[in-house]
Amino acid sequence: MPAVAVAAPRGMLVPVDGAILGIETSCDETAAAVVVEGREVRSSVVSSQVDLHARFGGVVPEVASRAHVELLTPVLAQALVEAGVDGPELAAVAATCGPGLIGSLLVGVSSAKALAMAWGVPFVAVNHLEAHLYASLLEAPDLEPPLVVLLVSGGHTMLVLMEGHGAYRLLGSTVDDAAGEAFDKVARFLGLGYPGGPAIDKVATGSDPEAIRFPRAMIGEGFDFSFSGLKTAVINHVRRHPDAGTADVAASFQAAVVDVLVDKTRRALHATGATAACLGGGVAANSLLRERFAAACSEDGVRPFVPSRAMCTDNAAMVAAAGWWRLRRDGPSPLDTGATAGLRLPVIG
Amino acid sequence: MLLLAIESSTGQVGCAVGGHEGVLASAHTSRGRRHAECLAPQIEFVCRQAQVELTDLGAVAVDVGPGLFTGLRVGIATAKALAQALAIPVIAIPSLDLLAFPARFSHRLIAAVIDARRGEIFYAFYRHVPGGVQRVSEPTLGSPDDLGSELLAAREEVLLVGDGALRYQGALPESSRIEVVEQGLANPSARTLALLAHARALREEWVQPWDVNPMYLRKPDAAIGWATRDGAAG
Ligand SMILES: [Zn+2]
Repeated sequence: MPAVAVAAPRGMLVPVDGAILGIETSCDETAAAVVVEGREVRSSVVSSQVDLHARFGGVVPEVASRAHVELLTPVLAQALVEAGVDGPELAAVAATCGPGLIGSLLVGVSSAKALAMAWGVPFVAVNHLEAHLYASLLEAPDLEPPLVVLLVSGGHTMLVLMEGHGAYRLLGSTVDDAAGEAFDKVARFLGLGYPGGPAIDKVATGSDPEAIRFPRAMIGEGFDFSFSGLKTAVINHVRRHPDAGTADVAASFQAAVVDVLVDKTRRALHATGATAACLGGGVAANSLLRERFAAACSEDGVRPFVPSRAMCTDNAAMVAAAGWWRLRRDGPSPLDTGATAGLRLPVIG
Repeated sequence: MLLLAIESSTGQVGCAVGGHEGVLASAHTSRGRRHAECLAPQIEFVCRQAQVELTDLGAVAVDVGPGLFTGLRVGIATAKALAQALAIPVIAIPSLDLLAFPARFSHRLIAAVIDARRGEIFYAFYRHVPGGVQRVSEPTLGSPDDLGSELLAAREEVLLVGDGALRYQGALPESSRIEVVEQGLANPSARTLALLAHARALREEWVQPWDVNPMYLRKPDAAIGWATRDGAAG
């Protein structure tokens, strides 16, 4: 472990009214960031554990928890030094308290409460899903609700109508696998390695997305998603056609997923009259989804916003941003706050 | 020097504030296994009772296990973050040392035993020395049968202490040479940690927060958490 400074050197500090330190440890990224008033990113450090989990083909909870304990101290130090912020000047320390892997969440929540106590500043517990919604508002502060947000990652696939800060309606979600989970499982089956999203994105580029017509489950009806049948269809196809080109299978699978995601987003835009649509979550880093999502929204006369790839995957800047709005709305969280693996997005209606 | 001691390696979670006058305040909770929920309010409470500000602390002491992983990580993450924020060092002490210390007045061989779940235990042997105990074996993960064999091989009187000894009392050899200490001393105590850590602080036997890690003694399960990632289909 490299030697790291524990705080910013005194004398080079900048005014930090409204600066929030965010901490994210819900899955396999150890992250810390300083964001001012929910929009100005002073620092954002992400230490990915992807190499640790790659040999298992997925995230191993106990391995992730152990890595967070080791990585969080240097990640925090780097985020504070890069931001040039002294802890006691922060407006709050925010941490993801769920949903996610319970052992991993507890490392971030416990650390955040300790930092807040030591510096005498408020602690704010942040819902990871809400943080993903705020990733777009962080990068495009001029976005105005009502917004439709398509949130797609390894753990969740949902369409959310953001009516205002803290006011969300869940329009639809997956009834079985998350989209990212389908990417990981199909990539593993095809021998493309882990994580599956980037691996499939890469081999699919330049291949034929229409080589195989995989099913588009639940397309044209409602706002819910289903990806488990598609995963099975891919496996069955490859078993029946062992000579099928892996790249064409990957491209056809990816096209099927993207078709469904874009179709449902369009339906949501028509149904709600939202004037803008945003992407979020790790799967939002997928090239085809980014391109097709933006094109479909523009075609329908709706402003699309596709965050940078770094803001789509798990990071702590979005946690700090969501924490800022939470703090303004609800004030600090109590120190007896724990972590909740199955925490849901707080919705209205 | 004032220090805060944090202990969370078993079903109990606790903390204490101590200094050269001994332990100034302490709190322990052994019901509910809600370490993360209990610990931060406990720290606030003991500091208020002892009239100590966190910024007055010169070090943070923490029990680094072996023990229950999730509980350990709550305590260690808290200790590391406090030390980092306050720019003070950490004093890391194994859980089994904390269990054996209150048995220091016995001249028998002492076995400190913590329940490791899944039918296993963490244990180590200690002997009385002036003013305390000395560990005479490395902390080990094994079965109650493994410990039983070692107890028989020892051919001397043994005092067993810890929740692992109580739980597997029935599985240990029946012998008049073996005695298990009752419930009152079955969990490592933050008060003991504060006392032991203060002696080490005087000798500056401390480490920096980024060098502190739990003593696991067991490899992680390699099962992938599909169902638990981000709350799955939520
Ligand atoms: Zn996420």
